[in-house]
Amino acid sequence: MNSIGASAALLGVAAAPGLLAACGGGGSTNAASDAGGELLVWYWGEQEAPGMKDFFEGAVDKYNQAGRDKAGDVRAVLQESDTLYTAFRTAAKAKKGPDVQYLWGGTQALEDVWMGNIAPLNDLLPQTWLDKVDKDARRETFWNGEQWGLPFYELNTAWAYNKKMFERANLDPENPPQQWDDFIAALTALKKSGVVPLGVGFKDAWLGGWLISYFGAQNFDSVDDALAPFRGDVEFSGEKYVGWLEPVKELIDRGFFNDDVLSLDLYQGEQLFEIQKAAITNSAQPQIVGFQRKLGTDTVGVMLSPAWGQGKLARFFPGASQVLTVTSFSPRKDRAAQFLQYLHEPAVMKAMYDASGAISPDTRFDPAWLNTDVDKQMAKLKPTLPSIWYQYYYPFPFERDGVTPGLQQLFQPQGSVKTAVDMMQQAIATWQREQPAQVDAYKKWTLLG
Amino acid sequence: MTSPLTARRATRIHPGQGARARGLIPYLLIAPAALVLGVVFAYPVASLVKESVSSPGLMGGTEHGLQNFAAVLPDPLFHSAVLNNLRLFLAVPVLTVVAVLLATLLFERVRGWRFYRSIIFLPYVLAVPVIGIVFSYILQRNGLLNEVLRNLHLSALTRDWLGDSGLAIWSVWAVIVWQQLGFGVVLFLARLSSIDLSLYEAAELDGAGWWQQFLHITVPYLAPVIEFFVTLSLINMLSWVFNYVFVMTGGGPVRSTYVLELLIYQKAFRDGLPNLAAALSMLVLAFAVVLLSVQSVLRRRIERMEG
Repeated sequence: MNSIGASAALLGVAAAPGLLAACGGGGSTNAASDAGGELLVWYWGEQEAPGMKDFFEGAVDKYNQAGRDKAGDVRAVLQESDTLYTAFRTAAKAKKGPDVQYLWGGTQALEDVWMGNIAPLNDLLPQTWLDKVDKDARRETFWNGEQWGLPFYELNTAWAYNKKMFERANLDPENPPQQWDDFIAALTALKKSGVVPLGVGFKDAWLGGWLISYFGAQNFDSVDDALAPFRGDVEFSGEKYVGWLEPVKELIDRGFFNDDVLSLDLYQGEQLFEIQKAAITNSAQPQIVGFQRKLGTDTVGVMLSPAWGQGKLARFFPGASQVLTVTSFSPRKDRAAQFLQYLHEPAVMKAMYDASGAISPDTRFDPAWLNTDVDKQMAKLKPTLPSIWYQYYYPFPFERDGVTPGLQQLFQPQGSVKTAVDMMQQAIATWQREQPAQVDAYKKWTLLG
Repeated sequence: MTSPLTARRATRIHPGQGARARGLIPYLLIAPAALVLGVVFAYPVASLVKESVSSPGLMGGTEHGLQNFAAVLPDPLFHSAVLNNLRLFLAVPVLTVVAVLLATLLFERVRGWRFYRSIIFLPYVLAVPVIGIVFSYILQRNGLLNEVLRNLHLSALTRDWLGDSGLAIWSVWAVIVWQQLGFGVVLFLARLSSIDLSLYEAAELDGAGWWQQFLHITVPYLAPVIEFFVTLSLINMLSWVFNYVFVMTGGGPVRSTYVLELLIYQKAFRDGLPNLAAALSMLVLAFAVVLLSVQSVLRRRIERMEG
């Protein structure tokens, strides 16, 4: 009668290899690396960068037709969101599956490194070549002195705002607020003008990761501050780590969010902006480009998170990249690395941008190729600010079990900052108890300088 | 060279041996089924037990012991999940009483009873994810239900049905009751269709009213099916509500709708902790075994009453 529970656990056995295998060198690359046959690539991205599938299939066709890989053809298979990780982990357990695997960035890729599913890239790609890939992006999957993920495309995350609504509220549409007080004043004016200032959805929990990434790192002086509580160096408490909850609570208490935040999923919240009910929404760069295409450049603008904090990262660029990895069990690692290099060739990067709007985090990507206002504006901001996407540096259970419920309860009438802090601390304690190998992995995590 | 006669003599079975061989035949006949059951049930359960008391060691290898149970038992999320499963148990008496009453009404062949039976049974044949998605729209703060209430000038009754952490589990509860009701009604109606109508005629002659007939004829006659339905529904509330929660709330808001299955799923598939998931599954299994034992005791009592 307990078939679902039992099956879940039993299938889970297949889905989760030993964590410490990675620490013990599970990603060894000295296996026979030039096995022939088909090179299998499991990729994702169509969901957040529409056009990715067409690009990928076209790029693979060209690669095969040009005979770039003498040992065999490449075959690329688009993965579903829900099974991206479970299918890969099952394949990794069986040590049979893709040679190249797409993963979401930061800890969402490193988790699989720690499970022993990924091979380090340093032995496969020349350092001089790796150095041409954006350093901030590489930092997200650099662990224990080695590069594990190759940044594939940027997924920078910002706020889209409606310039016309700004105008109607007597705000400067070309100069969105950068500091907290200006932000509060702008939201107050927008509310007074009869629109919903901030349109978001939090029912499906994803907003938690966005809000902490927008506001949670603003008292940090370096990216390393994000890792410290998980290494056990400091408590997750005090103004530095939990101070951001007060500004968020202020936004809620002042009624700046739509009243059905907890009824709507993330994308439903963003739709409030698209149908011009809300003046501002959280969004990823490709989506903001989509809004701009639909509503016009005279209506849609992009802004970064206003600064409330006092740290060196108070004003930051929300840079994040998704990655491609070479699997630890692949017998074709060198061929896999060769294919990854191909994807970073200028013509291929341009083709990807033209097809999907996805930007390669690579110094060889020519900014002159950018063809939308949003992309140009973000590209201009990027070099001027330190880059961090907080979500990529904490373990996922911390977000799911602490950040998300903590923030969701702030939206409840009886919500309090103290309860949110308690939930986050509790989530860290549970993670430390249940995942000692990950705690150990955090202790070995030194950031790329 | 042996003649057929010699061969027959040689294979003749001793009377004592024949009895023994005949005794083995039932075992041979059930062997394939036993083998299938062993593969389908015994092996997974044995593996589950093994996984629940194993965990990856810090220095490699495998550790054995109760450490997985020690890790999950203090988890507040586990407590919250258990509490929510218990809350869902409260749906069972409601489901049972309403299903028995509706089945009795339909059994009396009220006008249009076939239509009502179909309407009541319809939700049961719909896929849970479809129901979950539809209800997550209906129950939105600005969804259909609240819109109807507003139009009826009942704005004071509008709520954020799935967004309020105090209400969300009860909203899921209500959807489960709505969907599962049809099964109970059809089950009870099937049992009622075999009842001897002369019992009701005799009761009427003795002056028994509707309520007395219901209490003293219908309910006792339905007792074995009620007992089966209650046990099945309790086990469903324990280990078959994942779909509703996953689709409608994902465990939120504020972890207020977590159930044990969702926790098992997350530990196994998202956190890569199959051993913790196995420990949780063992706890669910133990709970289900207790329920089945209670059912077994009840069944014997009912059989004694009937006998």
